[in-house]
Amino acid sequence: MSPRHPADDLTAFVDGALPPARAAEVRAHLERCAACRAEQERLASAAAAFRRVPPAPVPSPLFSERLAARLAREERPRRPWAARLAAWVEPSSLRWRLAVPAAAAALAGGVIFAAVRMHGAEEAAAAEHLDLLLHYEEVASVGDVASPEDAAVIAQLDEIAPREGRP
Amino acid sequence: MAQDPDAALMLAFQRGDDGAFRVLFERHARAMVRFCHHFVRDAARAEELAQDVFVNLYRASGRYRPSARFKTFLYRIASNHCLNELRRGEYAARAEARPGETPADPDALPSHDPAPDAAAEGAALERAVGALLDRLPEKQRAALVLCRLEGLSYEEIADVLDTTVGAVKSLVHRATVAAAAALAPFAAPASGEEVLP
Repeated sequence: MSPRHPADDLTAFVDGALPPARAAEVRAHLERCAACRAEQERLASAAAAFRRVPPAPVPSPLFSERLAARLAREERPRRPWAARLAAWVEPSSLRWRLAVPAAAAALAGGVIFAAVRMHGAEEAAAAEHLDLLLHYEEVASVGDVASPEDAAVIAQLDEIAPREGRP
Repeated sequence: MAQDPDAALMLAFQRGDDGAFRVLFERHARAMVRFCHHFVRDAARAEELAQDVFVNLYRASGRYRPSARFKTFLYRIASNHCLNELRRGEYAARAEARPGETPADPDALPSHDPAPDAAAEGAALERAVGALLDRLPEKQRAALVLCRLEGLSYEEIADVLDTTVGAVKSLVHRATVAAAAALAPFAAPASGEEVLP
């Protein structure tokens, strides 16, 4: 068969496995080439013969039980990291059901702690300012306030109200 | 591969769902016994091999990635196992000693009986196919079984045999040319293939 005959493509043609353009070329060749047509029919007949081969025997009733017994002796296969991660984030996971409330409690605790600390800092600052106000006369009388913050507060108090009548 | 329900089962098994593995087994057990039978043509041995395939699948489950179709993953395990079995000297010796096998002259097969009944012809065809498979190089044999007896596409066979579609096309073609000669006595009008208009 000359190289121009599509001999190597005939089985794929029979199996419908050629790209459409190539299948069209082979089909056109077969219409005018009796030798290739005969070979194509021979290959198609062989392929058809396989479909008449009697079915293989079905598994015996004990097949499943034997496999189960063998698998029972097997060590559980190590799961890939992706599967372990998936098991972690699976919504039905017990671990997840425990982890969510725990994380929520931890978050709430952190917020409360931060709020208390912030509140404490504000209270301390207010106490400092109150202390300064209560001892305004004394502090202002010193004349030379060491802390720039104290000096600023005193300046503001001076602007807001006269010294007289201030506790 | 979300569209492959078997892949989803395999992933469920990877996450620890043993029931998913049982479903996979129930779905594919018969096909695996049949596939192994094409290689060894002995019912008991085919069952042993098919069990080995599922044990190997169990062990290899961690390597499965959903980018691969489960069916080709399973057939790859099965093909490798069956080909390894054929390479073993013990099996080769048993195959040679197998009684009642093939016809040195395939033309002699059904022609002795001018009107063989279907069962007798089926048995003769089975023996002729077995003898053909025994003679083929292992890659051609695997490709022919996967294509003609298991109905896999060329693309699926390429995945199973870890080769290219072009190589599969060549393997299936050479094996089918050999089959055309070996099964000529069983020739019948072809149907279902591409036909000329």
